Amino acid sequence: MEELIPIIKKALEQVDVVLGWAQSPAAGVAVPAFFHTPAEADAAVFDSTCAHNLAVYLPRLADKKVGIVAKGCDARSIAQLIAEGAVKRSGVFVIGASCPGMIDVKKAWRCFGFGKQVCDAAGKVAMEGKTVAREEILLWKCRGCRDPEPVICDVTVGEASSEAPAPPAEPAGIRKRFAAMTVAERRQFWQDQFSRCIRCYACREACPLCVCRDVCTIQAHEPGWAGAAVDSPQSWMAQLIRVNHLAGRCTGCEECERACPVGIPLMLLLEEQNDVVEELFGYRAGGEAKPPFLTFDIKNDTWDEER
Amino acid sequence: MPGKDVKIVGFLCNWCAYAGADMAGMARMEQPAGMRIIRVPCSGRVDPLLVLKAFQEGADGVLVSGCHPGDCHYGSGNYLARRRLELLGRMLPALGIEPERFHYTWVSASEGARWAEIVNTFTEAIKDVDEGS
Ligand code: SF4
Ligand code: SF4
Repeated sequence: MEELIPIIKKALEQVDVVLGWAQSPAAGVAVPAFFHTPAEADAAVFDSTCAHNLAVYLPRLADKKVGIVAKGCDARSIAQLIAEGAVKRSGVFVIGASCPGMIDVKKAWRCFGFGKQVCDAAGKVAMEGKTVAREEILLWKCRGCRDPEPVICDVTVGEASSEAPAPPAEPAGIRKRFAAMTVAERRQFWQDQFSRCIRCYACREACPLCVCRDVCTIQAHEPGWAGAAVDSPQSWMAQLIRVNHLAGRCTGCEECERACPVGIPLMLLLEEQNDVVEELFGYRAGGEAKPPFLTFDIKNDTWDEER
Repeated sequence: MPGKDVKIVGFLCNWCAYAGADMAGMARMEQPAGMRIIRVPCSGRVDPLLVLKAFQEGADGVLVSGCHPGDCHYGSGNYLARRRLELLGRMLPALGIEPERFHYTWVSASEGARWAEIVNTFTEAIKDVDEGS
C-alpha cells in the first residue's frame, strides 16, 4: 500500500506523531512504529500482519496531537475512547485503512515455518509453493468482520472492498467445544486455563479500554479483590475484574487474547459479555453512543418493565 | 449432600430488604441457617465483583435485595443495580456458575413474609443444583 507513505507525510504537517506499522526484519511481520518525521515515514507498511490495535497508545499520548493508521476494528476502539472521554476527537487524526483481514501469524508460522515473511502487501497468503486457505489463518475477529470500513476517519487509504462482508463465522474449534460444555465443565475448564496464567498483565496492557494504568483495581492492595498469588483462583478473579470492567465497553478487538503468552482463550468471556450487552441494551461498543453503564436517563428508565 | 448447610451470602439494602429480613426474624418465620447477611447502604452499592468474590470465597449462593423500583432511598441506586446484576446473572453460565445460585430481588421493609419465602425458595433451588437434579 504505497499511497500510505505520502498520506502519513502529509499528516505529519499537522500532528506530532503518526502511529503505524513498519516491517520487523527479525520476525518477517509488521510491528507498531511511531513516525515523527517524514524520513521515518518511509518505513511505513500496511499488510495482513498489521493486527495490533494501535488505539492502545492514544490515552497516554493525550497531550499530543496524534495521527493513527486505523483498521475498521481499531476505529471502533478510537470511537469508544472518544465516547468515554479518554481521548479528544480534535486530538486524533485518523487515517482509515481499508482492511483485507488480518492473519494470525502464529498459525501462519506453523504453516510456513517460523520467521518467514508470511504474506504480501495485498494480503495473499502463498509462498514457497505452499498455499493455505486464507480463512484458515485469519484472526477469528476478521472472519465475518462487521466493520471493515472505519467508523471514524479523517482520510482513507486503500480501496474499500466492494464485496459484501462474509456472514458471521460458525463457532469452530474452542468456541464450539465451549458452547457444548455444561456449566460444571466450564467451571473446571476455567480453573485449568487459569492455572497457566502467569499474571503478566499483557491482556490488560494490550487492551485499548484498560486505561487505568497505575490505579488498576486488579493490583490494589486495599481492598484486595484478587490476591497477588499466582494461582488459578486468584488469577481467575483478576481476569473477572477485567472482564467486568469491560462490560459495555469492549469492542471485541481480540488484542488481550492475542497478547496472552500462554494462550488463554480470553475472548470466550468477552464475546459472551458483548452478546449479552447487545441483547439487553441494544448496545455495541465502538460507536458514538455513550456506554449503557456510563449514563442512562433515570426519568425515562423503563428498562426492567420492557424486559 | 443432605443435611449440608447451604452457604448463602445476602447483600441487603439498609432501607428496605434488611428491615424486611429483620421483620421476618422477629416474627420467627422459618429461615435457612446458612444465610449470612451483609448490610449495604443501597443495592446500587453491590458491585458485581462483590458477588463474584463471594462465589470465589466459597459461597453456594448469592442473593441481592434492594428497594422496589421507584422506591430507592437515593433515587436511582436500584436502577443501576438491576442493569449490572441482570448482566451478571446472564454471564454466570459462561463463568461456570449455575444461574440458580444467584438471585436479585426487591423486598420492602414491610414484606417480612415475602422475604422468608424468597430465601427459602432460593435455598431449595441451590440444593437441587448441588444434588444434580
Ligand atoms: S482491569 Fe479494570 S481497573 Fe484494571 S486497567 Fe482494566 S479497567 Fe482499569
Ligand atoms: S495475558 Fe494471559 S498470562 Fe498474562 S495476565 Fe493475562 S491471562 Fe494471565
